[in-house]
Amino acid sequence: MPGPASNGIPDSPLARMHPMAKIAGVCSLGLATLVWPDFTMGLGIVVILFVAAALARVLRPFTGVMFGFGIPITLMLLFIQGCYSPKNTKVILDLGFAELGLEGSLYAAKIVVTLLVFLGSFYLTNKTTYMGRLVAALTQIGVPSKIGYLILASLNVVPQMQRRIAVIEQSQHARGLETGGGLISRTRAFLPLLGPVVLSSLTDSQERGMTLETRGFGIRRVRQTSYLEVVWRRSDTVMTILFTVFLVLALVLGCLSRTGLVTFAIQWGGRA
Amino acid sequence: MKIDLEHLEYVYPHGHRALDGVNLTLEGDQPVALIGQNGAGKTTLAKHLNGILRPTKGRILIDGVDLATANTAQWARKVGYVFQNPDDQLFLDSVRKEFAFGPRQLGFDQDLIARRMEQVAGLVGLADRLDDHPFDLSPTEKKFCAIGSVLMMDTGTVVFDEPTCGQDKAGDDRLAAIIARLRGQGRLCITISHDMKFVARNFPRVVLMQHGRVLLDGSREEVFARDDVLEQAYVTPPPITRVARQIGLDGPVFTVSAFVDAAWRAKSGSRNLSLDTTRAKGVKQ
Repeated sequence: MPGPASNGIPDSPLARMHPMAKIAGVCSLGLATLVWPDFTMGLGIVVILFVAAALARVLRPFTGVMFGFGIPITLMLLFIQGCYSPKNTKVILDLGFAELGLEGSLYAAKIVVTLLVFLGSFYLTNKTTYMGRLVAALTQIGVPSKIGYLILASLNVVPQMQRRIAVIEQSQHARGLETGGGLISRTRAFLPLLGPVVLSSLTDSQERGMTLETRGFGIRRVRQTSYLEVVWRRSDTVMTILFTVFLVLALVLGCLSRTGLVTFAIQWGGRA
Repeated sequence: MKIDLEHLEYVYPHGHRALDGVNLTLEGDQPVALIGQNGAGKTTLAKHLNGILRPTKGRILIDGVDLATANTAQWARKVGYVFQNPDDQLFLDSVRKEFAFGPRQLGFDQDLIARRMEQVAGLVGLADRLDDHPFDLSPTEKKFCAIGSVLMMDTGTVVFDEPTCGQDKAGDDRLAAIIARLRGQGRLCITISHDMKFVARNFPRVVLMQHGRVLLDGSREEVFARDDVLEQAYVTPPPITRVARQIGLDGPVFTVSAFVDAAWRAKSGSRNLSLDTTRAKGVKQ
């Protein structure tokens, strides 16, 4: 079964890491990229994320997501910001119909790497974390188990609906419905199927709610235990401290450079 | 209608081999029951009969035409398939629309649909619920609504996946009537069921499956006489058949009247009706 709810996650240091430490990582790396004055750090982090993805044995899907998102968004932003940013003063390329400006391009690069860092780190977290573990970790730090269930249920609902749609589609074929052919005929055939899928998902979740109640999910004033034990190891502490220090350093250096107190080795023509 | 399955193999995408070389010919109007424990491959086999699933190896011929030559929607004209769970099948807002959906897809004209609607609604017992929403039907009625929506399509073969599941006596009787009607119309009815009493009463031909293979294929008398194979396939014959066997009556019996007849025959034949206690004790329930 595809999707983050399944437990088919290859074993790796990243998979063994505590989910909260990974979330700390996502926040730290993303924010650091955001406050850093140019795109260089983000680019470095993206490279590191690729290495991490290789270590976690998810390089192939990771590459697909990063390039699938990265290439079109880069082209789009480079075109919009690079050619038409009002900040543009230095022309680096004459395209004929428009001129590519340095300032706008830098700004575009900054946005792209920031998005990629957030996307990549979040994707890695998602790909290497069994959702049950994430929810167990969340309840461990005091998030109510009902909210935890809400997260799990909403994540499970998508693959469940996909399976359901597949079966319903089969049964409609068996009744002579053609869903092949062009996009329009497909859409026309597909729309009537949505009703029962949504409706039955709703009745399903109602039934699941009732069975949860009968199994004592709603009992109050009891400290619930979890079948999945998520252990916080020393390496998680180390990683979290590293992430925090990294973020603080990036913040301080970023602010200092903005105020002009520190200058970096690489000087772009203008600041994005 | 004739359906030939030749060396059929099917492996699910996650690697489970659900069918492992099935050779089977289904033809005529004799209702056929597919039996076997859960996971034996019954539903997988049935889903091949109209191309919902396509074989990994081997082929299916319907009246001599390879099933691979057309899609499921096209085969729907010849083979009707009632899914195990009616919720997978029903999606319109009234029983009437459900009934009309299949025949409309196949291009039946309005008059024919109306005529068939009357017949089928009576047969499945939903004549006065045609304007109700399928979600408002009871689970049993929903099942009959799904059955009706397939019967409407007037196919030469009808496949029922577990129609007896969750049915009471009235439901079973109605199903039996539907199966008898199909036979009367010369249609082939293939049914998956775990209810051996229902199978023995309504199906002259029984196909027993295990681990994706056909273990036994023959008349109900032949199949239910093979205690050894049935036990190996974790299938228990109907209670009355077991009792008759235990007391040593001739041949498998499936009904109370057949049991009484056989008992009288045994008695009048001055044979020792072997109510032999040692034997009776030895047989497992």
